[in-house]
Amino acid sequence: MSALITAKNLSKRYGKKTLALDSASFEVQPGRIVGLIGPNGSGKTTTLKAILGLTQFDGDLSVLGMDPRKHRDELMKEVCFIADVAILPKWLKVKDAIDFVEGVHPRFNRARAEKYLAATKLKPETRVKAMSKGMIVQLHLALVMAIDAKLLVLDEPTLGLDILYRKQFYQNLLEDYFDENKTIIITTHQIEEVEHILTDLMFIRDGRITLAASMDEIGDRYTEVMVQPEYMTAASALSPLSQRTVFGKAVMLFDGVSRHQLERFGELRTPSVADLFVASMKGTYE
Amino acid sequence: MKTMKWLLRREYWEHKGMLMWAPLAVGATMILFTLVMMLSGKNFEINGVSANSTTITVAADEARQIVDMAAAAYPLAAVPVYMMLGFLVFFYCLGALHDERRDRSILFWKSLPVSDSQTVLSKALIALVGVPLMIMAVGLVTSLTIVLLAGAALAVHGANLFNMLFMSPQFWLTPLRVLSLVPIYMLWALPAVGWLLLVSSWARSKTFLWAVAAPLLTGAVLMWAEKVFHLPVYSKWIWDNVIMRILVSVLPGQWIIFSDRAQEAMQHTDPQQRPLQVVAEFFNQAWMSLGSGYMWAGVVAGVAMIVAAVWIRRWSEEG
Repeated sequence: MSALITAKNLSKRYGKKTLALDSASFEVQPGRIVGLIGPNGSGKTTTLKAILGLTQFDGDLSVLGMDPRKHRDELMKEVCFIADVAILPKWLKVKDAIDFVEGVHPRFNRARAEKYLAATKLKPETRVKAMSKGMIVQLHLALVMAIDAKLLVLDEPTLGLDILYRKQFYQNLLEDYFDENKTIIITTHQIEEVEHILTDLMFIRDGRITLAASMDEIGDRYTEVMVQPEYMTAASALSPLSQRTVFGKAVMLFDGVSRHQLERFGELRTPSVADLFVASMKGTYE
Repeated sequence: MKTMKWLLRREYWEHKGMLMWAPLAVGATMILFTLVMMLSGKNFEINGVSANSTTITVAADEARQIVDMAAAAYPLAAVPVYMMLGFLVFFYCLGALHDERRDRSILFWKSLPVSDSQTVLSKALIALVGVPLMIMAVGLVTSLTIVLLAGAALAVHGANLFNMLFMSPQFWLTPLRVLSLVPIYMLWALPAVGWLLLVSSWARSKTFLWAVAAPLLTGAVLMWAEKVFHLPVYSKWIWDNVIMRILVSVLPGQWIIFSDRAQEAMQHTDPQQRPLQVVAEFFNQAWMSLGSGYMWAGVVAGVAMIVAAVWIRRWSEEG
């Protein structure tokens, strides 16, 4: 199957010194939920902006077969994004928002939006001004979920929301929106909350993609071992990616070492994305 | 086409307070004020004939004159409404592309399949056509109501001029004449609308300072350079043709403001029927200004600045 997004050597410079993207290359296959994870200032948002045609850059990028720099207007019929929470204008009413999107978007399904909104406290006459952050995201999500788009881009969609709204957001996304014809790209700092819904993971650091793999591959490749004291030297010799201490025991994270080989050092488990992230981003702010 | 309809409606939702309710409020206040003055029996003067509590008799030729005047010049009764036009267009344009960047809602609008040129065009259309039409309509209704009220006051005092007024072709032609000024206003206002949209699309903050103080200071510096160093920077020319045009062009009636010839023509009207002639000359000069290269140069500059604003909206990276 051909890739939905193909990026080759994307580079983007802000001013003379700051390199936001440094020859980043990656592919996104259709029907996946990709987590684009990176520290602050690593180029996450710039990557998304490039995909959405919101910024100039060097390199080759094809999204749904189009160059977002040239065919943005066409592309936006197939692509949706929620850039951040609370960016709906204050004066907008719920009913006006629905009317407007229905008016300008050929793939908008009004009934779907209304059905989703019926499950919230939002009323047609409610203005964004009178909504809480969580309610604004509900409205935004209702609009986006009613659009039959091929690609949905979420940039920190749940920033500043309480846990109830956050859980509900991802639940709605999975249960009512996602299917094999859709692709979702998410950036977030709340890794724990998205890791169970991701099918693919991309780490970005200093404008480069440092890891791109499916969650299955990650499970195969990375192993965490709670090393028994007597095996410390032997385990260290296999050069673990990171080492931390939990309840007085060393926990080591290995990349590409077979489970069979590690079994004898102690208890094995698959590392969480958060642990993997911390291990592979060591020294970022130094 | 469908998208443009929704974009225009979007502007209406956002700005109906400023663009609709404010002119209506001013018009309604004027009508109310006229009514109160009439009912309280205050003297008022309309076209030189004062209506007071005693019976008025108007000689036939005098009546003719009053009716002609009222039929041709009644829009003047709503001058405060027309004055609003410049201010509304000015502040609407200044916020048009800035507010969405300030509250970051531009990212929402840009997540929809609407091109930047359509969006900017919808805002330019509101400023150049929507607001002027709204103001003309409110102004006409207001002035008509006031003139009819005045006519009623005269009638109550025994001088019924309504028949003559309604028979006068001028009376029916006047709204069309006023309406014909809308495209002329649009062409004259283009450089200012273009400039203000450009500032609005690009200034990060303090749009008013950028829009007004920057050109004024530039002009002042040029004048200073010319005076002190005798540099041939043509500051007078730049003041008249650039700075004034991009700032003052939102006001209605620039075909008079910017043309010495038009001003002269209006002063050289027949003193015998001065007011009527002045009104006629005002419309004449408006239509004649369509042949003015000076105006068309402004149109070209305005369109160029709107195109620049589209480009900036497409590639600006805030938010």
